[in-house]
Amino acid sequence: MKRITIIIFLLSLTLLLNGCWSKRELNELAIVMALGIDKTDDEFEVTMQIVNPSEISSKQPSGKNSPVVSYHAKGKSLFEALRRTTALTPRKPYFSHLQMLVIGEELAADGINQSLDFLARDHEVRNDFYIVVADQSTAKEVLNVLTPIEKVPANKLKNSNEGSQKSWASTSTIQLDKLINNLSSDGKSTVLSTIEIVGDKKLGIDPTNVERIETPVILVYTGLSVFKEDKLVGQLNEEESQGYNFIQDELKSTIEIMSCPKGGNLSTEIIKSKTKVKGKIINGTPSIDVTINVDQNVGEVECDIDLSKIKTIHMINKSTSKLIKDKIKKSLDSIQKKYQADVVGFGEAIHRADPKEWKKIKGNWESLFPELKVNVKVNVNTRGLGTVQNSLLYKTKE
Amino acid sequence: MSFSEKNTTNSPDSENKDSQKLILTRLSENIKKIKEVLGNSTDIIIREVGIGKSKKQRIAIIYTDGLADKTAITDFIMESLMLDLDATLDTHSEDVIQYLKDFCLTVGDVNDIADFQTLFRSILNGETVILLDGQPKGISASTKSAKDRAVSQPTTESVVKGPQESFTETLRTNTALIRRKIKSPNLWLKSRVIGKVTQTDVAVMYINGIANDKIVKEVFTRLDRIDIDGILESGYIEELIQDSKYTLFPTVYNSERPDVIAAELLEGKIAILVDGTPFVLIVPAILTSFLQSAEDYYQRSIVSSLIRILRLGGISAALIAPSLFIAITTFHQEMLPTPMLISIASQREGVPFPAFVEAIIMEVAFEILREAGLRMPRTIGPAVSIVGTLVIGQAAVEAGVVSAVMVIIVSITAICSFLFPAYEMSSTIRVLRFPLMVLSAAFGLFGVFMGTMAIILHLCSLRSFGVPYMTPFAPLVPEDQKDAILLFPRSSLLTRPRLINQINTKRGSNPSKNDANN
Repeated sequence: MKRITIIIFLLSLTLLLNGCWSKRELNELAIVMALGIDKTDDEFEVTMQIVNPSEISSKQPSGKNSPVVSYHAKGKSLFEALRRTTALTPRKPYFSHLQMLVIGEELAADGINQSLDFLARDHEVRNDFYIVVADQSTAKEVLNVLTPIEKVPANKLKNSNEGSQKSWASTSTIQLDKLINNLSSDGKSTVLSTIEIVGDKKLGIDPTNVERIETPVILVYTGLSVFKEDKLVGQLNEEESQGYNFIQDELKSTIEIMSCPKGGNLSTEIIKSKTKVKGKIINGTPSIDVTINVDQNVGEVECDIDLSKIKTIHMINKSTSKLIKDKIKKSLDSIQKKYQADVVGFGEAIHRADPKEWKKIKGNWESLFPELKVNVKVNVNTRGLGTVQNSLLYKTKE
Repeated sequence: MSFSEKNTTNSPDSENKDSQKLILTRLSENIKKIKEVLGNSTDIIIREVGIGKSKKQRIAIIYTDGLADKTAITDFIMESLMLDLDATLDTHSEDVIQYLKDFCLTVGDVNDIADFQTLFRSILNGETVILLDGQPKGISASTKSAKDRAVSQPTTESVVKGPQESFTETLRTNTALIRRKIKSPNLWLKSRVIGKVTQTDVAVMYINGIANDKIVKEVFTRLDRIDIDGILESGYIEELIQDSKYTLFPTVYNSERPDVIAAELLEGKIAILVDGTPFVLIVPAILTSFLQSAEDYYQRSIVSSLIRILRLGGISAALIAPSLFIAITTFHQEMLPTPMLISIASQREGVPFPAFVEAIIMEVAFEILREAGLRMPRTIGPAVSIVGTLVIGQAAVEAGVVSAVMVIIVSITAICSFLFPAYEMSSTIRVLRFPLMVLSAAFGLFGVFMGTMAIILHLCSLRSFGVPYMTPFAPLVPEDQKDAILLFPRSSLLTRPRLINQINTKRGSNPSKNDANN
C-alpha cells in the first residue's frame, strides 16, 4: 500500500515536467487595445494600437514617449497580416483586451465578411469589443490620432461610443457576436457606428495634438453606417440614427427640442423608451406596426409657458410624439428607399409573426422591403419637470 | 532530542529493576539504597531523627529541596513527630504507621507506600516521605509547593471582551481553573502518569453523561499506549494520540483559555491536561473549532456571524491569494479588467523574475522575517522589523526586483494568515500555500482548483477520535449549522454537536439559564 502511494506520488511529479508551457508574463505581452483593418491593393492591412503600460500608469510616466504605439502589416488574409506583425512588435501581440475594431471605408465598401472569420474563430480574441467604421478615411488614419485626457485612443473611441449611445442615441454599440448575428439573419444587413476624423489627418499623429487646449484633430462619431449584405452603402445622420435606435428599442436617453406656441424652444429628455415591433401579413401584403412608449422629463424651458397646467403637459407630450415620429420617418425613408437595406430587422419580425406566409414572400423581400408599410404609434408620458416649475420667462397673469 | 537519547539507554532500565523492589525493613539499608539510586543528589534532603517518648524509634524524613514546602514540613511533620508525639511506639507493630497517619501527621493528603517506585515518584513530586526503622512500609505526605507562575492573561488567544485568565504550568492550578467554571459533580477527572523518565502527570477531564463513553475509553486506550521517556509539553501527547500522522491539519485542538476548555467540555469533548504546560488538549477536534474564537460567543450573534464570514474569507485569501495571482497574471490575463492589467503590467516592467519566482522570493522572505521575529530576543525586535519593512516593502520594489503588486499580495496573505484564532492552523495554511503556488505556476487556475480540491478531499478523509473532521459540513448535520459558519442567537442553540456526543444532545429547554456557562 505504502509502495503504491509512493509510486503514485512520483508519477504525479512528472505532471510538473511540462513546466509552464503556456505561461506568459505580463511584461512579455504587447496588449493590443485597438485593431484597424484596411484594404490596400487586394491585401489586408492591419493596424495594431499597442499600449505602452509604463506611460499609462500614474506612477511617473516619462511624458516623452507616446502612450500607444501602432504597427502595420499587410497580408493576403487577416491572419497572415497579424502574424506578420510579430516581426515588428517588440513583444507578442495579445488580443484578449481588444477594445475597438475600426474598419476602413474602402474595406467596408468591399465587404467585411472575410475579415470577421478570424476574429470569431481565434480563441484569444474575445467578442466584447466594439466595431466601428471609418468615414472618409482609413482605419490606419483613425488609429493614428492621439487623444487628450484618455491617453489610449482606443479607450476614447470606446467611451465616446458608449456615451453617445447611452445619452444621445446617435450611435450604436455593436459587438462581434451581434454583428455576426445581424449579418447571418434573414435581412442580412447591419449598421455600425461611423467615426470621422475632424481636422488635418496628418497632424493627428503629432504629440502636439494632445498638448494644446483645443485639440486640432479629433475623432467624432457622426451617426451610423448602413451595410447591405456586408457592404457599406451609406450613412445615417444623427437624427436618422436616433430614429433607428427608437425602432430597434436600443434608445436609452436622448433630447427632443420643440418650439413653443409663443415662440422659443422647450427641450425634453427621454428617460425611458420601450418599442414593440409587430409584423403581419394581410392578403400577402406585409406591414409593420411599431409601438413606442416613451417617458420624458422637461429639461429646459426657453419660452413663456405655464407648466403647472395639465393642458401644457398634454401639448408637450403631443409635440414629442410628433418629433419622434418624424425622426423615425426620416430614418425609414433612408433605410427603405435610399439604401434598401433591412437593417431594422422587419423581415425577422414578419418571419416571427407568420412563418408560413414569410416563406412565400421571402424571395421577394428585397423588392417588398422598400414599399413596406410601417405604422408608427408613439405614446409619451411626462414624468418630471426638473427642480423648478415655471421658467423665468413665464409671466404670471395678475 | 538529546535528552531522551541519553537517558533511554541505561538509567530507566536499571532504575526500573531497582524500583520494582519493595521497601526493606532496615532503615539504614533503605537510605543507602535511596542515596544510591538518586546518585547522592544534593537537593534530596534525608533527615534521620528519633521519635516517640524515648526517642528510640528511628525515622527518616525525605524530601526534595525546592519541590516540597519547607514550612509545611517543619510545622506539620517535624514538629508533630519530634515535639508533640509523646506516645510509646511499638517499633515492630504494624499499627505504628496507622497511628502516625491517624494521630500525628497534620497534613491533608497522606498515603502508604510499599515499594521503591512509588517512593521515588513521591519524593520527586515534592511529597515528603517518612520511613520508619523496622517497617517495610513508608508514608508519603503531600507537601508539594513547586514555584509556579501566577494566572496571567492569555498570550496566544486574546479577546477584548471575556475572561482574561489563562492556564499556567501547574496541573493543579489548571484543573482548579476549569472546576471554577463548571461546578458540577459530573465533571470527572482521571489521572495518568506518562513518561518513563519524566513521570509527568496527565489529567483527563470530561463531563460524565455528556461526553461520549466510547471516546473517553478511546482516549484512555491511546494514553495508556504511549511509551516514551519524556513528556515536556502537550504537543508530545497530541502527536502520540492523533488519528493520522500523515496530515498537516491538527486533529487535536488546544487552548490556554479555561473558558474555551469549559465550553468544549460542555459540548461533550474531552480535555487532556499535561503538567508543565498551559496548553490543554481537546479531543475530538473538528475543523470549525479552529476557525472560531472564544469571543464569538461573547458578542451579539450577528456581529459574530459577520466576523466569522470575514475570517473565512481572510483564511481563503491566506491560502490561495498568491497562487491565484500567479495563475491569473501568467495564464489568464484576459480575466483581469483592462485598466488593472495595464496597471499591473506597468509595475512588472523591468522585473527580472517570472511572477512565480517573485512570489516565492517574497513569501520566503516573509517567512524568514516572521521566524526571526519569533526567535530573536525581544529587545532587538523593532530593529528587525524596520529592516524587514524597508528591505521588503520599499527597497525591493524601488530596485525593481519585485513588483509593487506582489508586495501587496504577499502582505495581504501575511496579514490574513494571522486571522486564525488557532495558531497551528495558520502554520498549516502557510505550508499549503507553497504547493498551491507551484501548481498554479505549472497549470494556472486549473492547478489551483485541483490543489484546493485535493485539500478538501483530504480534509473530508480526516477523523479525530472517530469524528469526521469536516462535520457539520461533511457529513451534513443541519442542526449544527447554527454554530458553524454562522452563529445563531443563543436562544436557538439548543443542541450539542451531534456527532461528538450522541447520548445527551439537548442543552436544555431554557437556554438562557443553561448556556450561562458556555
